[in-house]
Amino acid sequence: MFNIGFVLEALVISFGSGVLGALLGLGGGVIMVPLLIFLLGVPIHIAAGASIVAVVATSSAAAATYVREKLTNIRLGIFLELATTLGAVSGALLTSTIGEGILRVIFGVSLLYAAVTMLLQVRRKGRSWTQTPNDWLAEKLGLGGSYYDAARREEVSYGVSRTPLTFGISYVAGVLSGLLGIGGGGIKVPAMNAASNVPMKAALATSNFMIGVTAAASALVYVRNQYCDFFLTAPVVLGTLAGAYVGAKFTNRVRGVVLKRLFIAVMTLLGISMIMSGVGM
Amino acid sequence: MEEIASRILRLGVLASTALVLIGLALTAITGDTSHPYGLPDLDWIIRGDPFLAPSHIIYLGFIILISTPVLNIIASILMFIKARDGAFAAIASLVLLILIFGFTLGVG
Repeated sequence: MFNIGFVLEALVISFGSGVLGALLGLGGGVIMVPLLIFLLGVPIHIAAGASIVAVVATSSAAAATYVREKLTNIRLGIFLELATTLGAVSGALLTSTIGEGILRVIFGVSLLYAAVTMLLQVRRKGRSWTQTPNDWLAEKLGLGGSYYDAARREEVSYGVSRTPLTFGISYVAGVLSGLLGIGGGGIKVPAMNAASNVPMKAALATSNFMIGVTAAASALVYVRNQYCDFFLTAPVVLGTLAGAYVGAKFTNRVRGVVLKRLFIAVMTLLGISMIMSGVGM
Repeated sequence: MEEIASRILRLGVLASTALVLIGLALTAITGDTSHPYGLPDLDWIIRGDPFLAPSHIIYLGFIILISTPVLNIIASILMFIKARDGAFAAIASLVLLILIFGFTLGVG
């Protein structure tokens, strides 16, 4: 199904989504999918297919930078990827069996959950984590890490605690990724930060590192099962990348707190819309 | 290890973006909207089907894009083996297996 107007609209929508995502460091598919559904009238499975490929693109592009800065905890990331990829494959296989209405409700609830976690984060001042030693599993696998924090001008080292819990949460994040066509960062980052006491910067970088693989796992199933509408996915990928590129240039210029509040508002609105539209189906 | 991962990611995104862009542009120009699903096989060659539709180029772009993180996993497995880190070589290999498994599973 190819239509130039459609393609152009998809380009614009995904560009906007890409910019927002880059400015806020979050939001792989979470804004994209609802926008595609509400503005283009695309069914959720197709929107998810387009979104998931775009998520692979943007996270790979972002991870290219993060990895070099040594913020990424590669071992923790790969370990958690066991959970996320298993989840992603499960979710992606499940998604064809679940109706549009229910998926929309699940999506809306996830959006609200992400909005709430962001809201709770904005309130906290000072350090975003408490330093704890590795738990038994993390110690055995050597999951703790360290990095140089340029802003604080100190070497930060941290242990990873409650590893099994984060593993479980990562599995859920993976399932949602496969089910809804999102990156899942909105769930992984709080899990690493709050549950396992990984500093925010490292959690963000590691999550970005993982999202590429998780999304790839989902995308493989989506493409394999022909959920991807190529002529929608192509402009969405291009638009999101372009938007993310532009957005990344402006991250320093805009005040973080204001943006976060805006984003929380948008996510809440979209979340409620998704739930309402899903219930009505 | 970080350097290699970073480079693979970069190249992958660049190459796939170029292909998707070219494919999309060609679709717009030629108006050829035939869909590539179904892998090229002998049948096509025998029938003399023009099996390079613009959407194939888009498809190739997507394949490269999705393979990029997979390549990274493979690279990390090799790195772990080289560093004699058996545990993580195994873990990373498991992840790879899951990815391959996911791709081979059809829904029916």
